[in-house]
Amino acid sequence: MSFFFLHPLYLLALAATAIPLLIHLLNRRKVKRIRFPAVRFVLLSQRRISRSYRLRHWILLALRTFAVFLLVLLLAHPIFRTGAGLFAGGGPLSAVILLDNSLSMKWSGGSEGFKQAKDAARLLISSLNDGDRAAVVPTNRFDKSPIRLKGEKEILSRDAEAVQVSAGTADFSAALARAYELLREPAAQREIWLLTDMALTGWENFTIAALGQHDPLIPLKILRIGGKEEPLNATLKEVKMRGHGVGVGLPIHLEASVVNFGDREIKDLLVQLYIDERNREQKLISVPPKAEVGVGFVLQLARPGEHQGYVALKKDGLAGNPISYFTLQAQDKLRVLVVDGDPQTALVQSETFFLARALNPAGERDSSLFLPTVIIPEGMGSVALDAYQVVVLCNVSAVPDAFLARLREYLHKGGGLLLFLGDRVETENYNARLFDSSPPVLPARIREKRTISEAAAEKIEGVETAHPALQLFADERLRDSLQSAKVHGYFRTDRAGGSTLLSLAGGAPLLVEKKGGPGRVLFFTTAADRDWSDLPLKTAYLPLLQSLVSYVAGGKRGAMDPGVIVGNPKTFTLPPSYVGKSLQVIKPDRKERGIIFAAAGEKASAAFQENDLAGVYRLSPASADIGGAAQMYPVNSPFLESRLEAIGEQELKRKLEPIRAEILDREALEKGGTRTDLSLPLLFLLIATLASEGWLAQRF
Amino acid sequence: MTNGERSYFDPLILARLSNLYLKARWVVEGIMSGIHRSRSKGFSVEFEEHREYSPGDEIRRIDWKALGKFDRYFIKEYEDETNLRAYLLLDTSASMDYASNGVTKFDYGCILVASLAYLILKQQDAAGLVTFSNRIESFIPPKARRGYLMEILRALEGQRPAGETDVGQILLEIAGKMKRRGLVILVSDLLDEPDAILKGLRLFRFKGNDVIVFHLLDAAELDLPFDGNVLFEDMEETSLKVTADPQAIRKTYRKVVEEFVDHVRKECRENSIDYQLLPTSTPLDHALVSYLGWRG
Repeated sequence: MSFFFLHPLYLLALAATAIPLLIHLLNRRKVKRIRFPAVRFVLLSQRRISRSYRLRHWILLALRTFAVFLLVLLLAHPIFRTGAGLFAGGGPLSAVILLDNSLSMKWSGGSEGFKQAKDAARLLISSLNDGDRAAVVPTNRFDKSPIRLKGEKEILSRDAEAVQVSAGTADFSAALARAYELLREPAAQREIWLLTDMALTGWENFTIAALGQHDPLIPLKILRIGGKEEPLNATLKEVKMRGHGVGVGLPIHLEASVVNFGDREIKDLLVQLYIDERNREQKLISVPPKAEVGVGFVLQLARPGEHQGYVALKKDGLAGNPISYFTLQAQDKLRVLVVDGDPQTALVQSETFFLARALNPAGERDSSLFLPTVIIPEGMGSVALDAYQVVVLCNVSAVPDAFLARLREYLHKGGGLLLFLGDRVETENYNARLFDSSPPVLPARIREKRTISEAAAEKIEGVETAHPALQLFADERLRDSLQSAKVHGYFRTDRAGGSTLLSLAGGAPLLVEKKGGPGRVLFFTTAADRDWSDLPLKTAYLPLLQSLVSYVAGGKRGAMDPGVIVGNPKTFTLPPSYVGKSLQVIKPDRKERGIIFAAAGEKASAAFQENDLAGVYRLSPASADIGGAAQMYPVNSPFLESRLEAIGEQELKRKLEPIRAEILDREALEKGGTRTDLSLPLLFLLIATLASEGWLAQRF
Repeated sequence: MTNGERSYFDPLILARLSNLYLKARWVVEGIMSGIHRSRSKGFSVEFEEHREYSPGDEIRRIDWKALGKFDRYFIKEYEDETNLRAYLLLDTSASMDYASNGVTKFDYGCILVASLAYLILKQQDAAGLVTFSNRIESFIPPKARRGYLMEILRALEGQRPAGETDVGQILLEIAGKMKRRGLVILVSDLLDEPDAILKGLRLFRFKGNDVIVFHLLDAAELDLPFDGNVLFEDMEETSLKVTADPQAIRKTYRKVVEEFVDHVRKECRENSIDYQLLPTSTPLDHALVSYLGWRG
């Protein structure tokens, strides 16, 4: 039972109720002086009527004030309502029914929440009168077709029926903005009904500022779907991979985080890992209330390329999203040719000892993504470079002519080269063959060697963490490790032709990249072993080497993709040859959507917006010619959408201010109720008041 | 009475006349043209007729010449000889200076008194004048002398309304000064304690006087026709002020005034005093006709 106004703005005129009192006070102040002979009669009259006069006077004042009050109420058009008070009385109505189709509605109300919301929408539609118009607007909507107000109940019912539960979080800002836009047309009554489970997650993102233009005078009625039941409420927060790179035959460590949102412990929760639709592993776990538990899986992939997988939760009565999708792009091993320019009989003294172990710490074939092969300079003449993705030259004194020609061809085909200098390097030979000859291989001319005492060694200072090869060092601990390394021997270089990725405290370049050409070249001005620096002894050495080798190999490292969240776009970056071309994205429901690539710098780029379903999306046609980019990606529902906790009524009203929000239970709608237009009774009351005022005024 | 004749008595028209004598004459001649002479018979110098003697007639009134001529006793009858001594008492207190329609009660009273004096003297009666506020302002004893009218009129013209009223006390004082009984005509708004006024009037009656009271009130005093919030300041007692809403008290006010008038009228009637309420909008012939009615 409530009382509201169709035009509450008129209530501001309630200030006018002070007018009779003001007139009274002004009249009292405005006194006319008259010299009069019969003042004693006036005095006598005054005394005689004083009490009744004052009483009547105040009654008159009260009646006049009340009349103004009634008039203002009439203008504001009051409606008295019992129950949910469906649309009746007060003139033609324009209503927007916002149907919350966020993922949480799937589990609200004992998994009946969305059905209850639809039933409520149908009930509202059936309550419309002739001349009323309404629109059904889902809170999560990717369909761009226009929505308009309609008067046909059958069509509106079909609209409501067509709404499906989405995989994402309710976008109340967009939905309300659309509702206000629809209700911009004038109507005798305007209302917005929001049928929602009031799940906290959707409202956490809502701010009135984000809503933009809105009309606070339009009443917003929120019909709360769902009951007071407390189901087992858990979901998968995320699936992460531990370690770097996904390689064929290598152990892959995955960890799924299971979150229990409820107040009860969840026992015997089955957590299953599926790879390429095959159940690879499953575990039974217990999750304490309001806690998060990590579940680890180890798997190996037998073939390179892309794999799709998901982790699923299984338990009867479990409310919450039970699946988290991911994809794995397994890389075959990176074959790396390492030329040791200073081989020693004692391996540890060898130039490439630390480097080779950084690439394959266990030294076993199936233990690392990298497969280094170490040769001595004499072997450079006969080695087939095409069998390797990366060539690493370490302290090689001179580059033979025959090797130089093959190296150029190798780089031209997209091979990678990582160069370390050292005490054996003949700078004239390097400059003449690798820098002065065309096309140059080195990014800069090598100048004099600089060796200083270990005590005076220079630290690494400049680290270009924005570079793809050094992105790892955005991590502070790794960067600190790298910057703690001291270098006491290196070659000075000219700066021309390359970009410096690492530099010493004195400003001298330590790692320089050569720009231009299909193959990538990185050039260290110091040695790969401990002779000129303590870098090999640092924690950062292993990730640095692996990252640099991966980079010069073309960035092809196996990886896990946890995907994007439903509703967020996915951006594809392909080789420039794709500019202007179109590809199809196959959604989890097998529907295909086209995307057209546009130029973005030196690449072709396209963004796919319609990630409205959870699952794995694929690019079609599948092609190997996309520069190593993934051709499938997962889309997951936001894990917080599984949280069934509802926002408090007061908190919600506060968030919605200044919109007049009224929160009703579903039962109130089902019970119906009536709405009574109070205009006519108020009009009669006003007439009666004015008549009384007139009668009383005559009595004076 | 025609409209032309009515204008003789319209107070507004009369007020425009500068001379009080003219005003009085205007009124009296106007009224006298419409009525006959007095039919009362009495001692007079003018013979009117003979009638046969009947027992009880005074011997001295027998016409002896007629007895010799007709051998029958006739009585000579003359036109009535008056011996009326009229005291015209005019209230000149400040409250008489009020006018809502252009004619103050004082002006009205002056014309009325002048007219009465003119009429009385014209009828060979004696007329005197007393003007008073809370004291006797002037006292002209009644005389029937020719030219005495001008003396009365001069006294009236020399008066200006001022001072407070004390009608009751003044009446007692005047009653003490009157040596012979006669007619007392009081012209006042009677805005004083009614019991004191009536006490004075009763004293006049006690001494054998006839009393006529012309109670002058302005129309506004009867109706209180004002609007808005009004601060009423008394014209005599300046400290007496009251703020009132005339619209709100009008009905009660009328009732209060009516009760006052009724009280005075009732007391006058019980004491054989002629009482005439005269709103200043009333044509003056009403008052004179009233007087002549008494005189006739």
